[in-house]
Amino acid sequence: MSTPRPDQENPEIIGGQRVLGVVPGKPPGGDRKVLDEQEPVMVWPHLLVRHGVAALVVIGIVLVLAIFFDAPLREIANPTLTPNPEKAPWYFAALQELLSMFHPLVAGVLVPGAIILGLAALPYMDRSTRIEPRFRKVAVATFTIFMVVWIILTIIGFAFRGPNWGWVWPWQEWYGEL
Amino acid sequence: MIEKIDLWFEERMGWRPIWKALALRNIPKVTWAYTLGSATLLVMVNQILTGILLTIYYVPSPQDAYNSVSFITNEITAGWLIRGLHHWGASAMVILAGLHMIRVVVHGAYKFPREVTWFTGLGLLAVTMAFGFTGYLLPWDQKAYWATTVGTRMLEVVPVIGPWLLRFARGGEELSAVTLTRFYGMHIWVLPALLMLLIGIHMFLVVRIGISAPPKASETEEEGPELEVEA
Repeated sequence: MSTPRPDQENPEIIGGQRVLGVVPGKPPGGDRKVLDEQEPVMVWPHLLVRHGVAALVVIGIVLVLAIFFDAPLREIANPTLTPNPEKAPWYFAALQELLSMFHPLVAGVLVPGAIILGLAALPYMDRSTRIEPRFRKVAVATFTIFMVVWIILTIIGFAFRGPNWGWVWPWQEWYGEL
Repeated sequence: MIEKIDLWFEERMGWRPIWKALALRNIPKVTWAYTLGSATLLVMVNQILTGILLTIYYVPSPQDAYNSVSFITNEITAGWLIRGLHHWGASAMVILAGLHMIRVVVHGAYKFPREVTWFTGLGLLAVTMAFGFTGYLLPWDQKAYWATTVGTRMLEVVPVIGPWLLRFARGGEELSAVTLTRFYGMHIWVLPALLMLLIGIHMFLVVRIGISAPPKASETEEEGPELEVEA
């Protein structure tokens, strides 16, 4: 490609092809081009516009939360006053819940280790060249079960546990902390 | 006007090829689920900006940490908002990164040739959680202190090196001023450096290899799309 002069217009790009010339008249295939399901699209605008919309939605949600719900700040840390229950941050609630149910070696080492190894090895365990979930039932089902269990444990540890890690109903007593 | 600005920079920087390489390339037709990664990235930018602002007033010592956070929240103009954005952004980032991972697994997007993208993504999820955990302690209130006590105690169950891990995380047997400076250093220097490295590789690969096609919905389809590297 020769070096474009700065004043040269960018060639129009339609469907990834540069348009070299425009023939007047109607296209033989009809007026509208219907995109095939498998036909590639351009990053701009197809993906970037969606990114922009999603970005606005997400930042809007975070902004609304920040405006209407103050970030919590409790009393100053007191090493001599242990709260009951002691709760880890919410994204560790599932792990804390597991630790309350099983031997520490199982809940604290074997399960997290298996999760990390399992996720890292996913591309090597799910080896078919197919990407559709219906051809990868074992991988997708295993992952789904793991996610569902993990989310349930997170919710239990976050909202359903009270003093001495006993069961509480969150609508009666609330111990969840963000 | 925009053309003039574009031309001004083009003549001085030659930036059109970069735009072309990034944005004017073909990708498979995408869905809204493909925006979860960029949404996570955007929240990360929010965390960086609000985090930098918070460091201006925050003091990482047990005597001052709580008071400085209280000062940020109650005295400084819009301090409550900056801190709120950082607080809620942290949880949003964990959730969005998790949803992004679910999308990738369901679409089988971790397969050849995208294994390295997948590994760096797992690393990024771990770094995100480490960010959340180290940041949680910094206000030095009761919740921060005891959540970190519980969180670091989990390290103790690891065989052989557990007690050492616990002392390494706390900088001693108990939570102290050492723990606070340690977590602060991790939160604002070590983890951001790791994050930049991993996100650089992750995003380079997303552009270099091209994103994977969404799986086809049709049941009658015999041939799936072959996995291929996009030049």
